[in-house]
Amino acid sequence: MNGRRAGAISLRILHQFRHDRRTLMLLFGVPIILLGLFYFLTGGGSSLPAVDVVNLDQGPLGAVLATDLGQSTEISVTRTTAAQAASDLSNDAVAAYVVLPPDLSARARNSDVITPTVHLEGTQPALTQPVLLALDQSVTRASRSLATAEGVRVPVLEPSLDYLHGGPGLDTLDYFGGAFIGLVVFFLVFVVTIIAFLRERSQGTLERLMASPLGRADIVLGYIGGFMVVAAVQAVEVVVFTLYALHVHNQGDVALIILLTLLMTLVAVNLAILLSMFATTEFQAVQFIPLTIVPQALLSGIIFPVSTEPGWLQVVSRLLPLTYGVDGLRDVMLKGDGLASGPLLLDIVVVVAFAVALIAAATATLRRSAS
Amino acid sequence: MSTPAVAVCVDGLAKSFGTIRALDSVSLTVGNGEIYGLLGPNGAGKTTLIRSLVGLVTPDAGTVTVLDRRLPDRAILADIGYMPQSPALYADLTVDENVRFFAAVHGLERHAAAQSTADALELVDLSPRRHSVVATLSGGMRQRVSLACALVHRPHLLLLDEPTVGVDPQLRAELWQRFTTMAAEGTTIIVSSHVMDEAERCGRLGLVRFGRMLAEGTSAELRRLAGVERLEDAFLVLSEGTS
Repeated sequence: MNGRRAGAISLRILHQFRHDRRTLMLLFGVPIILLGLFYFLTGGGSSLPAVDVVNLDQGPLGAVLATDLGQSTEISVTRTTAAQAASDLSNDAVAAYVVLPPDLSARARNSDVITPTVHLEGTQPALTQPVLLALDQSVTRASRSLATAEGVRVPVLEPSLDYLHGGPGLDTLDYFGGAFIGLVVFFLVFVVTIIAFLRERSQGTLERLMASPLGRADIVLGYIGGFMVVAAVQAVEVVVFTLYALHVHNQGDVALIILLTLLMTLVAVNLAILLSMFATTEFQAVQFIPLTIVPQALLSGIIFPVSTEPGWLQVVSRLLPLTYGVDGLRDVMLKGDGLASGPLLLDIVVVVAFAVALIAAATATLRRSAS
Repeated sequence: MSTPAVAVCVDGLAKSFGTIRALDSVSLTVGNGEIYGLLGPNGAGKTTLIRSLVGLVTPDAGTVTVLDRRLPDRAILADIGYMPQSPALYADLTVDENVRFFAAVHGLERHAAAQSTADALELVDLSPRRHSVVATLSGGMRQRVSLACALVHRPHLLLLDEPTVGVDPQLRAELWQRFTTMAAEGTTIIVSSHVMDEAERCGRLGLVRFGRMLAEGTSAELRRLAGVERLEDAFLVLSEGTS
């Protein structure tokens, strides 16, 4: 061991960092961005799940309970009619609606079991828990506050759950399976493309291509063609494995799942080509991976529903292609949507638009001359 | 295409990278079938000049006309072969796959590409290694593959940026023999070098330094101009006036 020689290596590494400002920025900037995202996603300033409350109770408890739910720190409540609530739920305007039945007060007075019905959208498990928690807390508080005046004791809460999509038969894998197909395929294709394209640049062959009669669009289209062949095989493999080996629940058309997966890879290929323009070394390209993939994984609604993010973060989510891919895959697999479904069609159109925009951007940034 | 009398005409070309002046009002005319050598030390501007001839450098001022077409002109690139200084190849492909790829990129259809690839590999004496993966080749062999990639489409204008670096003397002599033959058949070759014995083989030479064209002429003319016996000395003498 020789301190001076080892020290020479340490010093050289520090010099290399000094010359590579971008790496330093990523090294110090990315953790702040990612941890900040975690903070906002796991509660700090996030939006509450929207829940409609329909009060049909003929006694006093329903009104008190509804008011108490309105002050809940878990959910954001609107009181409305049963018809409006049902329509809100099917439009994705609310995560759930709670119907307080006509006999609510009567049952509570008899210290009976109360059974408000909780209608859940069903495709976002993360939204179910806050609703049930809020209901439980409010039932306790509301019935206590009425205990002396009305003779209400704290009843046993046994909400009956009604799922618009999915249901109690679905497990965690079923909820996340579809979304993960999108994420996994997107991630892998992105990484492979950005490294391949950067190698083209660093080994000098890109310059050689630029000195040939090839147009910029030829190069981008060529890359798309080559990678899409491999991506198509990968998409089929991933979907078949997910559906038939893991038996992830699927209610929709397998062809649509593959279509969405392929569209995601098309976006990934072009995003990778575009971003490779901003990296000069493979080292820097590798650092684009956490910067592109992790925020997308966090913000695309796979784990944390987009609707409960803080407002400004929802805007960011809406600017990420993976959000639409994940949403589309869930529409197909959990809701069984087909091309006739408006929301699914919108997701597909948006992903296609992202792909087209990225193809154009990748082509435009591919400069013929070095300067 | 019909062959024009003048292959390359550069007029008042200037290019700076930041504060570094790579080319400073360079003018140059190369006739058809000529072998023109660009001589100069490292960093003189030879590479930038060659890169401007394939549109890889956007000039700050001046014009470049190649084979009667004013650059930028993508179509004319099909008729130019460019060999960069470092052998830019796909290291994970075989020799044959690399050369074939560049043949296809320059518009050769399948059959013609296969034939031209075989010819080009013959020319650089690599036929026995055509199925070797490039990553397994020595530096000199890679240089030859790179040359094959540049001339596989039989261009009218061949731009070679230090093509014989790492090539052993015997093969170097053979390559120059081929260059001479190609020039005789009408291919214009512009080659950069700082090896003086190679310079002797060029029809005309341009001495480049500090991004400027210091002197032009045949080897004999340059030696006479400088009043010295050896080309190397001529180069040193002619550089002095400007430094």
